[in-house]
Amino acid sequence: MALKLYDKLKHSIRYWLLRTLPTCQQTVEKISESMERSLSLQERINLKLHLWICVWCQWYLEHLQIIRQTARAKADEPPEIISSPGLSNEARERIRRRLTNQN
Amino acid sequence: MNATQGKFPDKSPDPGRWLDDHGDYLFKYAVFRLRDNTAAEDAVQETFLAALKAHKEFEGRASERTWLVGILKHKVVDHFRRATREAPLGEESDEGPEHREFFERPDPWQGHWNTDYAPNEWHATPAELIERNDFWKVFNDCLSPLPQRTASAFTLREVDGLKSEEICEMLSIKVNNLWVMLHRARLHLRNCLELNWFRPE
Repeated sequence: MALKLYDKLKHSIRYWLLRTLPTCQQTVEKISESMERSLSLQERINLKLHLWICVWCQWYLEHLQIIRQTARAKADEPPEIISSPGLSNEARERIRRRLTNQN
Repeated sequence: MNATQGKFPDKSPDPGRWLDDHGDYLFKYAVFRLRDNTAAEDAVQETFLAALKAHKEFEGRASERTWLVGILKHKVVDHFRRATREAPLGEESDEGPEHREFFERPDPWQGHWNTDYAPNEWHATPAELIERNDFWKVFNDCLSPLPQRTASAFTLREVDGLKSEEICEMLSIKVNNLWVMLHRARLHLRNCLELNWFRPE
């Protein structure tokens, strides 16, 4: 009984917060900015509350962090495995001629 | 046959060999950041020319490739500076798609995630993604529909870890512009990565 009441209460608070707080669209923009600058106290509170009730935005933040960590860890690696085929023969010969003339 | 071989005794630079050993690597490094083949070819050529002049400073403490990449990084910065001087960002600048459809919903929840586009749990850690050989291919393909400048700004920030101010200076944009670009790139890329990696069916 008490549990049911608690669930109801939680549901109402969640509903009320979702209606009151900035939307997901506004929140994802804040999430991105939080990776660029420190947010104001008000912004931080809104973000924390939104994340508390919205698993989608929680995942969104988590994914941005995963992307950043992975990209930076692999920063020295991209050229070797990227799909681009490398220097064209024409460009290679042009650069070779230019370098030989230099000597 | 290497035309320049034998021409230089011992410690003399051998640009022909540099080109053979590192040309493709440097080109891919540059094209990933500049997103323009011609600009990347120029940056590679300028790198080798600068390396020829500066080879005495190379004391073999770092590997030859690391040394050349270090020079190339400066050439990439030079390119952006030159490009923005020649064609400054206009008023009607395109920062990338807004993806409003991600948040289109029937009324009371307008502005919240549309379930067709809402994030899913990834069940993956950075450590697992680092192991994936297709990471850069998917990353690169996902960035390619974005405006060139947005994709470059995103790469410089998230891959190279440059500071906001450095990127703004390179691209001669205001910091608010940069934040919009980064936000749109993130929104787009996250969705694209999820579709390509975590929902293969």
